[in-house]
Amino acid sequence: MEAGVLAALEGSGLAAALRGSTWLYPLVNTAHVLGVALLVGAIAALDLRMLGLWAELPLAVLSRVLVPVAATGLALAVVAGSLLFAAGASEYAASPLFRAKMALVALGIANALGYRLLRRRHPESPTLLRAAGTISLATWLAVLTLGRLIGYF
Amino acid sequence: MQRRTFLAQAAAAAALCGLAGRARAHHGWAWATEKEFELTGPIKAVRLGNPHGELTLGAADDGEDWLVEIGQPWRNRRAGLTDEILKIGTEVTAHGHRAVDPAQRLVKAERLVIAGKDYNLYPDRTS
Repeated sequence: MEAGVLAALEGSGLAAALRGSTWLYPLVNTAHVLGVALLVGAIAALDLRMLGLWAELPLAVLSRVLVPVAATGLALAVVAGSLLFAAGASEYAASPLFRAKMALVALGIANALGYRLLRRRHPESPTLLRAAGTISLATWLAVLTLGRLIGYF
Repeated sequence: MQRRTFLAQAAAAAALCGLAGRARAHHGWAWATEKEFELTGPIKAVRLGNPHGELTLGAADDGEDWLVEIGQPWRNRRAGLTDEILKIGTEVTAHGHRAVDPAQRLVKAERLVIAGKDYNLYPDRTS
Protein backbone atom coordinates (compact mmCIF):
# COMPACT_ATOMS: atom_id res chain seq x y z
CA MET A 1 0.00 0.00 0.00
CA GLU A 2 1.05 3.59 -0.62
CA ALA A 3 2.84 5.26 2.29
CA GLY A 4 0.48 8.24 1.93
CA VAL A 5 -2.61 6.06 2.22
CA LEU A 6 -1.20 4.34 5.29
CA ALA A 7 -0.33 7.66 6.94
CA ALA A 8 -3.82 9.02 6.18
CA LEU A 9 -5.43 5.91 7.64
CA GLU A 10 -3.26 6.12 10.74
CA GLY A 11 -3.92 9.84 11.10
CA SER A 12 -7.70 9.48 10.87
CA GLY A 13 -9.87 10.41 13.84
CA LEU A 14 -11.02 6.84 14.25
CA ALA A 15 -7.46 5.51 14.41
CA ALA A 16 -6.47 8.17 16.93
CA ALA A 17 -9.55 7.37 19.05
CA LEU A 18 -8.60 3.68 19.03
CA ARG A 19 -4.99 4.37 20.00
CA GLY A 20 -5.93 6.67 22.87
CA SER A 21 -8.89 4.72 24.21
CA THR A 22 -9.16 2.88 27.49
CA TRP A 23 -11.92 0.45 26.50
CA LEU A 24 -12.53 0.72 22.74
CA TYR A 25 -9.21 -0.82 21.66
CA PRO A 26 -9.37 -3.83 24.01
CA LEU A 27 -13.03 -4.40 23.03
CA VAL A 28 -12.22 -4.29 19.31
CA ASN A 29 -9.34 -6.64 20.08
CA THR A 30 -11.80 -8.95 21.84
CA ALA A 31 -14.14 -8.86 18.84
CA HIS A 32 -11.22 -9.85 16.61
CA VAL A 33 -10.36 -12.79 18.87
CA LEU A 34 -14.03 -13.84 18.99
CA GLY A 35 -14.14 -13.75 15.19
CA VAL A 36 -11.01 -15.88 14.93
CA ALA A 37 -12.36 -18.30 17.55
CA LEU A 38 -15.64 -18.79 15.66
CA LEU A 39 -13.85 -19.09 12.32
CA VAL A 40 -11.10 -21.49 13.35
CA GLY A 41 -13.31 -23.49 15.72
CA ALA A 42 -15.95 -24.12 13.07
CA ILE A 43 -13.62 -24.56 10.13
CA ALA A 44 -11.26 -26.95 11.95
CA ALA A 45 -14.20 -29.22 12.81
CA LEU A 46 -15.42 -29.13 9.20
CA ASP A 47 -11.90 -29.73 7.83
CA LEU A 48 -11.43 -32.77 10.09
CA ARG A 49 -14.77 -34.15 8.83
CA MET A 50 -13.55 -33.60 5.26
CA LEU A 51 -10.37 -35.49 6.16
CA GLY A 52 -12.40 -38.50 7.23
CA LEU A 53 -13.13 -38.02 10.91
CA TRP A 54 -16.73 -38.57 12.11
CA ALA A 55 -17.54 -40.21 8.76
CA GLU A 56 -20.91 -41.36 10.12
CA LEU A 57 -22.10 -37.73 10.33
CA PRO A 58 -23.42 -36.37 7.01
CA LEU A 59 -21.15 -33.62 5.67
CA ALA A 60 -24.13 -31.66 4.36
CA VAL A 61 -25.68 -31.45 7.84
CA LEU A 62 -22.41 -30.39 9.49
CA SER A 63 -21.82 -27.83 6.75
CA ARG A 64 -25.21 -26.22 7.38
CA VAL A 65 -24.07 -25.39 10.92
CA LEU A 66 -20.34 -24.86 10.54
CA VAL A 67 -20.13 -22.87 7.29
CA PRO A 68 -22.33 -19.96 8.51
CA VAL A 69 -20.54 -19.93 11.89
CA ALA A 70 -17.15 -19.80 10.16
CA ALA A 71 -18.29 -17.13 7.68
CA THR A 72 -19.70 -14.97 10.51
CA GLY A 73 -16.45 -15.38 12.41
CA LEU A 74 -14.44 -14.39 9.33
CA ALA A 75 -16.58 -11.29 8.78
CA LEU A 76 -16.21 -10.24 12.43
CA ALA A 77 -12.45 -10.86 12.35
CA VAL A 78 -12.08 -8.82 9.13
CA VAL A 79 -14.10 -5.84 10.42
CA ALA A 80 -12.41 -5.73 13.85
CA GLY A 81 -9.03 -6.52 12.29
CA SER A 82 -9.36 -3.59 9.88
CA LEU A 83 -9.87 -1.25 12.86
CA LEU A 84 -6.81 -2.66 14.64
CA PHE A 85 -4.86 -2.26 11.39
CA ALA A 86 -5.92 1.40 11.05
CA ALA A 87 -4.57 2.18 14.55
CA GLY A 88 -1.03 1.25 13.46
CA ALA A 89 -1.27 0.96 9.67
CA SER A 90 2.32 1.68 8.61
CA GLU A 91 3.80 -0.59 11.26
CA TYR A 92 1.54 -3.51 10.30
CA ALA A 93 2.03 -2.96 6.58
CA ALA A 94 5.81 -3.13 7.08
CA SER A 95 5.65 -6.39 9.07
CA PRO A 96 6.55 -9.49 7.04
CA LEU A 97 4.46 -11.59 9.44
CA PHE A 98 1.41 -9.42 8.81
CA ARG A 99 1.89 -9.55 5.03
CA ALA A 100 2.29 -13.32 5.12
CA LYS A 101 -0.85 -13.56 7.24
CA MET A 102 -2.87 -11.49 4.75
CA ALA A 103 -1.63 -13.65 1.87
CA LEU A 104 -2.72 -16.77 3.76
CA VAL A 105 -6.14 -15.25 4.57
CA ALA A 106 -6.58 -14.70 0.82
CA LEU A 107 -5.48 -18.31 0.20
CA GLY A 108 -7.91 -19.62 2.81
CA ILE A 109 -10.83 -17.72 1.30
CA ALA A 110 -9.85 -18.73 -2.27
CA ASN A 111 -9.61 -22.36 -1.15
CA ALA A 112 -13.11 -22.26 0.38
CA LEU A 113 -14.65 -20.62 -2.69
CA GLY A 114 -12.70 -22.85 -5.09
CA TYR A 115 -13.87 -25.95 -3.23
CA ARG A 116 -17.51 -24.86 -3.52
CA LEU A 117 -17.10 -24.36 -7.27
CA LEU A 118 -15.24 -27.62 -7.93
CA ARG A 119 -17.60 -29.66 -5.77
CA ARG A 120 -20.44 -28.95 -8.22
CA ARG A 121 -18.41 -30.50 -11.03
CA HIS A 122 -16.97 -33.37 -8.97
CA PRO A 123 -19.50 -33.99 -6.20
CA GLU A 124 -18.18 -37.47 -5.36
CA SER A 125 -14.44 -36.80 -5.41
CA PRO A 126 -12.77 -37.87 -2.14
CA THR A 127 -9.51 -36.36 -3.39
CA LEU A 128 -11.11 -32.93 -3.69
CA LEU A 129 -12.57 -33.28 -0.21
CA ARG A 130 -9.24 -34.24 1.35
CA ALA A 131 -7.21 -31.65 -0.56
CA ALA A 132 -9.56 -28.79 0.31
CA GLY A 133 -9.75 -29.92 3.95
CA THR A 134 -5.97 -30.21 4.28
CA ILE A 135 -5.30 -26.81 2.70
CA SER A 136 -7.99 -25.20 4.83
CA LEU A 137 -6.79 -26.64 8.13
CA ALA A 138 -3.14 -25.82 7.46
CA THR A 139 -3.94 -22.33 6.16
CA TRP A 140 -6.21 -21.18 8.99
CA LEU A 141 -3.93 -22.58 11.71
CA ALA A 142 -1.02 -20.74 10.07
CA VAL A 143 -3.12 -17.54 9.92
CA LEU A 144 -3.90 -17.84 13.63
CA THR A 145 -0.25 -18.48 14.50
CA LEU A 146 1.07 -15.59 12.38
CA GLY A 147 -1.59 -13.28 13.81
CA ARG A 148 -0.45 -14.07 17.31
CA LEU A 149 3.25 -13.69 16.45
CA ILE A 150 2.85 -10.20 14.91
CA GLY A 151 2.77 -8.72 18.41
CA TYR A 152 6.10 -10.25 19.38
CA PHE A 153 8.45 -9.71 16.43
CA MET B 1 -12.79 -46.46 14.27
CA GLN B 2 -13.64 -45.24 17.77
CA ARG B 3 -10.00 -45.50 18.78
CA ARG B 4 -8.78 -43.62 15.71
CA THR B 5 -11.28 -40.85 16.33
CA PHE B 6 -10.18 -40.48 19.93
CA LEU B 7 -6.50 -40.31 18.95
CA ALA B 8 -7.19 -37.67 16.31
CA GLN B 9 -9.17 -35.59 18.81
CA ALA B 10 -6.38 -35.89 21.38
CA ALA B 11 -3.82 -34.82 18.76
CA ALA B 12 -5.92 -31.82 17.74
CA ALA B 13 -6.35 -30.77 21.39
CA ALA B 14 -2.60 -31.10 22.02
CA ALA B 15 -1.81 -28.98 18.95
CA LEU B 16 -4.18 -26.23 20.11
CA CYS B 17 -2.70 -26.27 23.63
CA GLY B 18 0.76 -25.89 22.10
CA LEU B 19 -0.32 -22.75 20.27
CA ALA B 20 -1.96 -21.31 23.37
CA GLY B 21 1.16 -21.96 25.45
CA ARG B 22 3.36 -20.16 23.01
CA ALA B 23 1.08 -17.14 22.98
CA ARG B 24 0.79 -16.93 26.75
CA ALA B 25 4.54 -17.07 27.32
CA HIS B 26 5.02 -13.56 25.94
CA HIS B 27 2.45 -11.63 27.96
CA GLY B 28 3.26 -10.15 31.32
CA TRP B 29 6.82 -10.49 32.49
CA ALA B 30 7.73 -14.07 31.59
CA TRP B 31 9.88 -12.97 28.63
CA ALA B 32 11.98 -10.64 30.78
CA THR B 33 14.66 -11.40 33.36
CA GLU B 34 13.89 -11.34 37.10
CA LYS B 35 16.73 -8.92 37.76
CA GLU B 36 15.96 -5.22 38.20
CA PHE B 37 17.38 -3.22 35.32
CA GLU B 38 18.05 0.49 34.93
CA LEU B 39 18.73 2.57 31.85
CA THR B 40 19.23 6.29 31.36
CA GLY B 41 19.19 8.28 28.16
CA PRO B 42 17.38 10.83 26.01
CA ILE B 43 14.16 9.96 24.16
CA LYS B 44 14.99 9.57 20.45
CA ALA B 45 11.60 8.36 19.27
CA VAL B 46 8.14 7.98 20.81
CA ARG B 47 5.13 5.88 19.86
CA LEU B 48 2.29 6.21 22.33
CA GLY B 49 -1.13 4.57 22.39
CA ASN B 50 -2.61 1.08 22.28
CA PRO B 51 -1.61 -1.68 22.57
CA HIS B 52 1.21 -0.05 24.59
CA GLY B 53 3.60 2.88 24.29
CA GLU B 54 7.23 2.57 23.21
CA LEU B 55 10.15 4.91 23.80
CA THR B 56 13.45 4.66 21.97
CA LEU B 57 16.16 5.73 24.39
CA GLY B 58 19.78 6.38 23.50
CA ALA B 59 21.73 4.68 26.30
CA ALA B 60 23.87 7.16 28.24
CA ASP B 61 26.88 4.82 28.43
CA ASP B 62 27.40 3.65 24.85
CA GLY B 63 24.90 5.74 22.88
CA GLU B 64 23.18 2.63 21.53
CA ASP B 65 19.41 2.60 21.20
CA TRP B 66 17.09 0.70 23.52
CA LEU B 67 13.39 0.11 23.13
CA VAL B 68 11.49 0.78 26.35
CA GLU B 69 7.95 -0.54 26.59
CA ILE B 70 5.70 1.65 28.70
CA GLY B 71 1.98 1.40 29.42
CA GLN B 72 -1.20 1.63 27.42
CA PRO B 73 -2.92 5.05 27.65
CA TRP B 74 -4.77 4.46 30.95
CA ARG B 75 -1.66 3.14 32.72
CA ASN B 76 0.50 6.06 31.53
CA ARG B 77 -2.24 8.52 32.53
CA ARG B 78 -2.54 6.94 35.99
CA ALA B 79 1.24 7.24 36.44
CA GLY B 80 1.03 10.94 35.53
CA LEU B 81 2.81 10.63 32.18
CA THR B 82 1.60 12.97 29.45
CA ASP B 83 2.48 13.38 25.77
CA GLU B 84 4.18 16.69 26.69
CA ILE B 85 6.54 14.97 29.14
CA LEU B 86 7.35 12.13 26.75
CA LYS B 87 8.76 14.12 23.89
CA ILE B 88 11.96 13.73 21.94
CA GLY B 89 15.00 14.93 23.85
CA THR B 90 13.59 14.35 27.35
CA GLU B 91 16.14 12.60 29.60
CA VAL B 92 14.58 9.46 31.08
CA THR B 93 15.73 6.85 33.57
CA ALA B 94 13.75 3.66 33.07
CA HIS B 95 13.54 1.04 35.84
CA GLY B 96 12.23 -2.34 34.78
CA HIS B 97 13.23 -5.69 33.35
CA ARG B 98 15.08 -6.41 30.13
CA ALA B 99 14.34 -9.22 27.71
CA VAL B 100 15.92 -12.58 28.62
CA ASP B 101 17.51 -12.71 25.16
CA PRO B 102 20.68 -10.62 25.59
CA ALA B 103 20.66 -9.75 21.89
CA GLN B 104 17.43 -7.80 22.37
CA ARG B 105 17.90 -4.26 23.65
CA LEU B 106 14.36 -4.26 25.00
CA VAL B 107 13.12 -3.23 28.44
CA LYS B 108 9.66 -3.34 29.94
CA ALA B 109 9.44 -0.36 32.27
CA GLU B 110 7.97 -0.50 35.77
CA ARG B 111 8.84 3.08 36.67
CA LEU B 112 10.28 6.10 34.86
CA VAL B 113 12.23 8.91 36.52
CA ILE B 114 12.15 12.22 34.66
CA ALA B 115 13.70 15.39 36.11
CA GLY B 116 13.88 13.75 39.54
CA LYS B 117 10.18 12.83 39.57
CA ASP B 118 8.87 9.25 39.78
CA TYR B 119 6.25 8.02 37.33
CA ASN B 120 5.26 4.60 38.59
CA LEU B 121 3.51 2.44 35.97
CA TYR B 122 3.28 -0.59 38.27
CA PRO B 123 2.83 0.62 41.86
CA ASP B 124 2.27 -2.99 43.03
CA ARG B 125 5.69 -4.13 41.81
CA THR B 126 9.02 -3.31 43.43
CA SER B 127 11.22 -1.32 41.10
